[in-house]
Amino acid sequence: MPYFAGIDIGSTAIKVVLVDEADNLFASKTVATGSHFYGNAQAAFLSLLKESGLESGDIGFLTATGYGRKLYREADESVSEITANAMGAKKVGEAYGGIRTIINIGGQDSKAIQIDREGNVVNFAMNDKCAAGTGRFLDMAARNLELELDELGDYHFNLKGAPPVINSTCAVFAESEVIGLLASGYSKEEIVAGIHFSIAKRTVRLVKRIGLEDQIYFDGGPALNKGLVAAFEEELMRKLVIPDIPQITTAYGAAILAREAWQAEELAAEQH
Amino acid sequence: MNRFRAFINGADIRRFRFWVQLGFFFLLVYGGYFMINLGQSLPTFSCGFNQPGRAGVCYLLPLQHQTHIPWDSIISGRGLGILTGLLTFLAWLFVFNKAWCGYACPLGTIQDWMTSLRQKLGIRYATYNLDWFTRLKKIKYILLILLIVIPFLMANSVAGLPKLPDDMGTPFCKICPARMVIPAMTGDFSQWTVDFSTGTAAAMTGLGMLVLGIFFVGGFINKRFFCFFCPMSALHSLFSKVALLKLRKDGSKCTRCGDCYRACDMQIREIADDVESTTLVKDDCMMCFKCVAACPEEGALKASFMNIPIYESTEAGFFKRMTKRGKK
Amino acid sequence: MSAEAQVKQIEMVRRQLSRESAEALNKIEKDFPDNPKSMDYFYDLYRRVHCEGEAPHGDKKVIGTTCVQVPEELIYAVGAVPVRLCNGSHTFDQLGAEFMPAKSCSLVKATLGMLSSEVASWLDQGGDIVNVTTCDQKTKAGRLMEEAGYRVHHLELPPSKESEAARTYWQSNVNGFARSLESVTGHKITRNGLRDAIVRVGRAQQAYRRLHRLRMSPLAPILGKDVFLVTNAYFFDDIDSWTDAVEVLNDEIERRCEEGFGAAQRRAPRILFTGSPPIFPNLKLPTLIEQSGAVIVADETCSANRMLYDVVNVDEWQLYDMVDALADRALKPCTCPIFVSDEDRKRRLLELARTFAVDGVVYQAFSGCQVFEMEQRSISRFLADEGIPSLYVETDYSPDDLGQLSTRIEAFIESLKARRRRK
Repeated sequence: MPYFAGIDIGSTAIKVVLVDEADNLFASKTVATGSHFYGNAQAAFLSLLKESGLESGDIGFLTATGYGRKLYREADESVSEITANAMGAKKVGEAYGGIRTIINIGGQDSKAIQIDREGNVVNFAMNDKCAAGTGRFLDMAARNLELELDELGDYHFNLKGAPPVINSTCAVFAESEVIGLLASGYSKEEIVAGIHFSIAKRTVRLVKRIGLEDQIYFDGGPALNKGLVAAFEEELMRKLVIPDIPQITTAYGAAILAREAWQAEELAAEQH
Repeated sequence: MNRFRAFINGADIRRFRFWVQLGFFFLLVYGGYFMINLGQSLPTFSCGFNQPGRAGVCYLLPLQHQTHIPWDSIISGRGLGILTGLLTFLAWLFVFNKAWCGYACPLGTIQDWMTSLRQKLGIRYATYNLDWFTRLKKIKYILLILLIVIPFLMANSVAGLPKLPDDMGTPFCKICPARMVIPAMTGDFSQWTVDFSTGTAAAMTGLGMLVLGIFFVGGFINKRFFCFFCPMSALHSLFSKVALLKLRKDGSKCTRCGDCYRACDMQIREIADDVESTTLVKDDCMMCFKCVAACPEEGALKASFMNIPIYESTEAGFFKRMTKRGKK
Repeated sequence: MSAEAQVKQIEMVRRQLSRESAEALNKIEKDFPDNPKSMDYFYDLYRRVHCEGEAPHGDKKVIGTTCVQVPEELIYAVGAVPVRLCNGSHTFDQLGAEFMPAKSCSLVKATLGMLSSEVASWLDQGGDIVNVTTCDQKTKAGRLMEEAGYRVHHLELPPSKESEAARTYWQSNVNGFARSLESVTGHKITRNGLRDAIVRVGRAQQAYRRLHRLRMSPLAPILGKDVFLVTNAYFFDDIDSWTDAVEVLNDEIERRCEEGFGAAQRRAPRILFTGSPPIFPNLKLPTLIEQSGAVIVADETCSANRMLYDVVNVDEWQLYDMVDALADRALKPCTCPIFVSDEDRKRRLLELARTFAVDGVVYQAFSGCQVFEMEQRSISRFLADEGIPSLYVETDYSPDDLGQLSTRIEAFIESLKARRRRK
């Protein structure tokens, strides 16, 4: 029985997902992209195969997505991360009663996608050229506050009172603003919450461009940050659907698209 | 069939029209000499005063006689006469619609000749400022009402008012330039006088002479000058919706480039700007179909008869005409 | 700056410009297989004029224009050659940025950058330009051109085209332009001269319309990037050679249609391109679309369709009617967003989408082009209501956003494919 692979080569992390013929998640792996992403992607893919006891011959079709999609020559096909994200979110969202809007915060961009019941992209919006309001911004802030990324959630919830307003969402300017806030005596908790709200506010503007429809699915690495999720929910004034492993939705979608492409090819071969 | 279609749609409508108009001019102005008689209810200015050249009579003349009728005799033989006259008029109109104006009317043809003369001399045409022009054009409806009401008031006293003087005769004909221009085409200038027999007659015929002067000046500098005020055109437009010949528009294909509007002698702006209506015979339209020839969009404008397209705008036809005319 | 330094700078600009053009041309020509043979005329033309800096019209009197609304027939009638100055180069865009506001649009910046750089080989320094007062930026650009030493005729355009008053106002301005052309060139516009010019431009438009019509074929016979190149060449090429070259191309394309040859994949989504005009070398978005597996089958832009599609109708072939007719052609059908109403643009897009069996619309707006940006919402909503998906892309001449853009374009094209499968 063949398996299908989706590999999402993002700016921060490479995500690999294997699914079976019924689109069930079989195995997944996340590694840092690093500077040599082609080698890292290939290594991640091979080691996932090994861990799951498979060989490359067991993979019926491999679909690549993410910024590095076109440079990953081992892939049978590449697909844009928007389409892959939509497909993955639709599949994961079935367990939550179906979803129609996706918010994705990636390493260097943020997106809002509207999908129909079948998982087709109806409309989408992306941030402009800069890294404002993306995962990279969160990285930068954590570093300035001398915190680990996974600590941000706890700090957010320890907030007492109102957070300071962070005006710059530009990763470069915000750095100096965060340092300024520290100097004027704000606590780390307050600043962390302020950062979360500023990202949420910015992204919500993006989402409103395409229109909000229930339910809203939130994925990408930063969705692991409970504090950020809370800030989003507050800004959107509704609950979000957060998947168990938010980073891999796009790779999962790519794997499903791989399975679809494989079936279409098989069908075409039969008819011939 | 397709090649025939392409040939028709590529035709130079001006030349076609010139010959048809010439033919009708001879028929209606000189047909009488050849014993041709098309009756008394023609929907065009085949002037009744042009004897014996006329090949039929403009419906407005008998209409003014017929409405000179006492109230109580409407339901009688005379009433029936009005009805048959009207029905004959409608039958003519039903078939050719307002093309009577653009292709048959001798007075219209004379104006077109005046326009050609002006064009040959390289003198610019005048146009109306659209604002007051739209108000001015309404005169034709007033004329139409008057030409029905005045003879009636000559025969009846309404609301105790005295009857109008009988010597108003056929009041519209008195001021219609065709009464003087058409007979003149057979050498009969007897209408070019002011009738001093009574005061009313003098006033009416004097007004007629004035209109004649305006007709020549206006017709020279303005395309189809008189037609904007023609009560016949007003009468047509009351019934033109049901006629078989139609000017149709497909607004989805229209780019509103205004090429048709430029070509329109009657300054009908809707031909370019109205993209909703599917039939576009406005009250001033004379169905000359110059707009169809001017349109470069495939099938955006067409002349149709009983819903069968007979002349359609095509890109090929447009460029054929452009290169042909541009060469001369 | 010393004279020596200035000469050096001009040399650098020239070199950068030629490199930019060569890169763009390579991408258009070499990154795609099976270009029509007769496109070689155009590839070669761009190589000579853009990459090698050849002046396209030798020593003929050239009059620069900055808008499709200039009735170019009048320029031909005084024995001069119109050259459209609207520029698409990032090099000039950067030069313009040195003295233009940061938020002005790339097209205006590049055009002014070119005119003030002394590298403008198409028009001698101090030459004549006719500038139409369309949007605010173009209007003020006219003044800046004067400051840069050019003689500018400001052709005033009304902000709305619906009223009869606007029409007569525009007609009288065009008549004024005709008179000023006569005095600038010392050459009278004669009836025969203008008639020949009208027929000459008409012939070019007829050739364009044939190409346009051929693209309706269910299997796209030519890629949009090539057609944009062809229509762009109309900016500066000799009109008669251009027309002949397009007719040769048309014959080849017609053969392709008969043979069932497709320039793109059979199922490639068909795109209608609208918005800010792609001008060589900035064919960034069109090439990206076609590299991502879609094909542009029609456009609604002032560097292509809007420039060449609408034809003039003369009723009386006398000077008075011809000039007015030219004025009408420039104003009435124009779908430029500077006018108050966007109804004509909507109807035009819908008509193109229907007749060309379009799968989706890509709407380009140059950052800073306020009117296109402002019209975007209503156009997108209108298209959505008509069941036509559209993608709005705000961009400029810089290559910085290529990565982002390619993701967006690909996602859009993938969604069009998925939509088609569902049907």
